[in-house]
Formats: sequence, C-alpha cells, structure tokens
Amino acid sequence: MRVELPMPRVGPVNDDAPRPIKVVLNWGRRYSLWVFNFGLACCAIEFIAASMARHDFIRLGVIPFAPGPRQADLMVVSGTVSDKMAPAIRRLYDQMPEPKYVISFGSCANSGGPYWDSYCVTKGVDQLIPVDVYVPGCPPRPEALLQGIIRLQEKIASETLSTKSIRAKYAGSRRAAAGEVTRPLLVKPEVTGRETGGELS
Amino acid sequence: MNETPCRDVPLAEWTAALTAARGEGFDFFDWLTAVDETDAEENPGFDLVCHLMNSSTGRGSLARVLMRTRVPNGQSAPSATGLWSGAAWHERETYEMFGIGFEGFDDGTGLGLRPLLLPNGFEGTPLRKSFVLAARASKAWPGSKEPGEGAGEGGQPHTEKPGRRKITAPGVPDITWGPR
Repeated sequence: MRVELPMPRVGPVNDDAPRPIKVVLNWGRRYSLWVFNFGLACCAIEFIAASMARHDFIRLGVIPFAPGPRQADLMVVSGTVSDKMAPAIRRLYDQMPEPKYVISFGSCANSGGPYWDSYCVTKGVDQLIPVDVYVPGCPPRPEALLQGIIRLQEKIASETLSTKSIRAKYAGSRRAAAGEVTRPLLVKPEVTGRETGGELS
Repeated sequence: MNETPCRDVPLAEWTAALTAARGEGFDFFDWLTAVDETDAEENPGFDLVCHLMNSSTGRGSLARVLMRTRVPNGQSAPSATGLWSGAAWHERETYEMFGIGFEGFDDGTGLGLRPLLLPNGFEGTPLRKSFVLAARASKAWPGSKEPGEGAGEGGQPHTEKPGRRKITAPGVPDITWGPR
C-alpha cells in the first residue's frame, strides 16, 4: 500500500509572514530539534555522553531521542559508515520530514577517518546525504558536539523557511519523499524445510 | 598463556583431520579463516586455519587446537559444514574475502557459497595481498599528519621527496598504479 503525499509545504502563514514572525518561527524551530542518533561506532558513545546529565544537550533544545526517523528533525551520523550500511542511512534520511538537518560527527563520518583507504568504508557520509555541520575529532569531545549544535542553530536562525526555499534546498538531493519510503506490514514468515528446532512462538 | 597447539595437515586429509579432532573431544567450532601466503618461498597458497575447542575440559580452561592446511591458489577446500553447521558463515566469509571455494558447502538453504558481509556488487577479494586499495590512489589522506600542520591543499598525496623505494604494506598501490 503506497501513500500518496503531496510535495511538502510550510503553509501560507510561513510563506508570507512578515520578518519578525519568521524570526519567531525560526526561534521555535532551532530550540526544538528532535534528534535521531545514527550511532555506528565509538563516536556514538561521545554522542550519548553529550545527551546525559553532565553535558546535557537538552538545555540547547536538542531532544533525545526521536522514536524513529519519521519524528526527527536532526540526524547525527556518529561513526564509521560502511558501504554495506550506506543504503540504510540513505533510506532513513529519506524518511525524515523536511526541513531536516544532518550533523556529521567524527572523522569517520566526515571523511572516512583512519579507514579512508579501506575497501568497505564510505569516504564520508556526505557522499550519501547532504551534511549541514561537520564536527571534527576522533572521537570529538561532547563539547565539540555542543558547538556543532550551536552552529546548526545559527544556521537555522538565518534561514528563510518557505515552500520555495525548502524545495530549492533539497532539489539536488531528494531521491524519494518520506511517504514513498515505506514497506508493507510485516507478516509472520512461513517455516519451510529443515527441522525447526522446537516451537516458534 | 601457552601457545595454542597447531596441527598442519595436507589438504586432502582436511575433513578427516577435522573429524578426528572432533572425535578427540574438540567438539566446539570457534572460527575458520585463511591467511594469504601466496608469496611464500615454498608451497605458496592460502593457509586455511580452523580453531576448535574442547567443551568438556571445564570452565575457564578449555583445551584448544588450531587446524591448518595449505590451499594452493585457485583450488578449493572441502567444506566443514557437514561437521559443524556453524562453519557456514565462516566459510562464506572466507570465500568472499579470499576467494577460496568450499566443496560440498551446505548451509541448508541450497543457495551455495555467496557473499555474506560485503556490499552488493562488490568485486574482488579484499583480504588477498594482491587486492589493491584503490582509495589510496584516488583520494589523498584527508587530514594533516602532525598537529599544527595545515591540511593539504586539495590533498597532497606524495609530499616527501622521491627517494629510494620504500617497502610498503600489501595492498598499498605504488605511484605508477591507477589511471593517469
């Protein structure tokens, strides 16, 4: 079953709002970033540290954690992206609603890092999806992520969010809208061949 | 920590040696992999290594043994899936990483040997020494080697003077490699 959704719009209020209203709307967006952690390696531990009490990025308005990509505004790719994982990253990125933001956290996600010559590591997640902020380090400290989040919030604050600008922003990178990246409901697999080794429940 | 005892067997006796080890009590299949020895002086090929444990020797001190055989390049080895079903993943991995075939491979699906870990459409056997890491030739190291150095302007692949030929690790392409 495919869901037909129209192209995303932000609505006439946002399209034609006067500038002070847009500032307020952007202020609201920059301080309520639902974050989706694409943790792939040790950088994910630093990301988790940043989300916990000591560094606590909730005070910056980053809300951990979105239940899934469809509820998220921000994806933090933290760790080594392998070619085998690449389709999954692209798929989850496509499932996120627009406007969406990506922080590439750590050397591996930025450029391949120490595995830049490997046969199986993607040379930077920006080969798959557009990245807004790069955080360097191997792994970066949690403070570096906080700085990256502040940079992203400055970027969001300076945006003009209109239907036209959103379409322009994702024009080169949109492969599929979120409604298209679905799969049918899971069904229980049929057990065929071979001994089943006890009752499956 | 004692060194694990290693038994070298000829390729033709591989299955028989594994069966015998299993009969001695080494009934737990730990792992199976290969080592590229194609540049060995005598009898070049791939070392097929299998690590077995004796699960009845008690907690914390399992007796273990390494089984090893030499597979000449291009030949296939007999499969161990008849003895341990769990060998299937290891043999599939050895197949895709080293290009060693396994005769009589059966993991119950009937699909035969097929890639396990590599992404779809991957060509080549990356753990062979002859596999060239193309990224080295096509993309420069993206960072600086020492703190304080600027990152290379657009990438500087070979900044050091061309001196005498350096010994490089397998897989590192020399300067003449790749499209010009």
